Amino acid sequence: MPAVLGFEGSANKVGVGVVRDGKVLANPRRTYVTPPGTGFLPGDTARHHRAVILDLLREALTEAGLTSHDIDCIAYTKGPGMGAPLVSVAIVARTVAQLWNKPLLGVNHCIGHIEMGRLITGATSPTVLYVSGGNTQVIAYSERRYRIFGETIDIAVGNCLDRFARVLKISNDPSPGYNIEQMAKRGKKLVELPYTVKGMDVSFSGILSFIEDVAQRMLATGECTPEDLCFSLQETVFAMLVEITERAMAHCGSQEALIVGGVGCNLRLQEMMETMCQERGAKLFATDERFCIDNGAMIAHAGWEMFQAGHRTPIRDSGITQRYRTDEVEVTWRD
Amino acid sequence: MQAPNRGTSNAAAGRTGCLRPRSCTCGTDIVVAAARGSYGTVPVSGTGASGNRRSLIRPHMFALRVPFPSPLEAEIAHGSLSPDVEPHQGVIEKELTVRGNVLAIKWTAEDARLLRISIINCLEHLSLVLRTMQHFGPPISR
Repeated sequence: MPAVLGFEGSANKVGVGVVRDGKVLANPRRTYVTPPGTGFLPGDTARHHRAVILDLLREALTEAGLTSHDIDCIAYTKGPGMGAPLVSVAIVARTVAQLWNKPLLGVNHCIGHIEMGRLITGATSPTVLYVSGGNTQVIAYSERRYRIFGETIDIAVGNCLDRFARVLKISNDPSPGYNIEQMAKRGKKLVELPYTVKGMDVSFSGILSFIEDVAQRMLATGECTPEDLCFSLQETVFAMLVEITERAMAHCGSQEALIVGGVGCNLRLQEMMETMCQERGAKLFATDERFCIDNGAMIAHAGWEMFQAGHRTPIRDSGITQRYRTDEVEVTWRD
Repeated sequence: MQAPNRGTSNAAAGRTGCLRPRSCTCGTDIVVAAARGSYGTVPVSGTGASGNRRSLIRPHMFALRVPFPSPLEAEIAHGSLSPDVEPHQGVIEKELTVRGNVLAIKWTAEDARLLRISIINCLEHLSLVLRTMQHFGPPISR
């Protein structure tokens, strides 16, 4: 009955989780929030994580009711993500692994999301829509790999939303995406934006440029409100995501869809995906903000799966990497 | 932007000699060896001189010696700090070695600004390792 400790800090959330045999025993997390109109920079984010991570580790062990002796493996995010924050978190993982003489496991962040999504929802073999500030991919499992069926060819959908929030100086607390979602509910007018699906893939940088430009003009003339723009952006980008997910589901003959990643918290996205799934007779799975948003337990659980399957990361190979494709990992814990 | 908590960077700017971390129970000292090398451009001879060419290209050097209470702790610090690849590999190189209970870190760099940034980051990370050892150590005996 191994218990695994997981460290996550690839973007502005830092979390430490404890998982044993599919049970989340602890999952404390902190978010680095910057003032409206600004984003988070790597050095400042890493400094934030360094300041709080040891407290989080202490909290996680206390909440789980465990000591270092009860932990069997230390998992951490090897990548992908922002360099400086990844390094800061990995350093703590390596140090405790060596202090406590426990094996270390480098986990792919995207796979952490997928495995936690599967655990929490019970979905067996879903088509996964992974959408966050840093990633946008449609993934399906096939023969020991999480294969990427479609993805963004430039920026992530969450990145598009976050950067748009900066233009309108929308608050980043608790997250810009959450605040855009609330404003969108009050939107009344649909502003036409470019719709950029490219086959199995999507593109968001053009939409961002367009809406940044439109925002200046239309808000000055009073042609639309910020709420209308939030509503229009969500409707457009979410429709694109539903389209590429549906395309992948049609290819795979899949009857299950799973949304993971921070943008997956968005209820409008879930609603639109649900409509598509119902039309296909498929089932939609989604998690709540505890597990959608980056967290330590997802790394711990993916680590648990990998540990059981015999994976280990020697210290000298434990360097972080900003680019780490989802399909680079051999998924030996599934058939 | 949140201010970092107490206990992160203890570097005293502009001093050589000993830096003593606050509330450090393991008694670790950081001894800063004087920075050597010239500032400003160093002309490189066009004839491609042999062994000296490398040190001409990287004229700035900096070295730290960090004593730990035991060889095991020095090894642990080495294990935590060495795996990540240093950015700007062509311009700056950082080497970590362990001798007894001392972790030695040596830099050679073409660019003084990048060297300064690398040293500051390394000190932040070293501080993080020390704090982790203080709160979650001592190491389990092998």
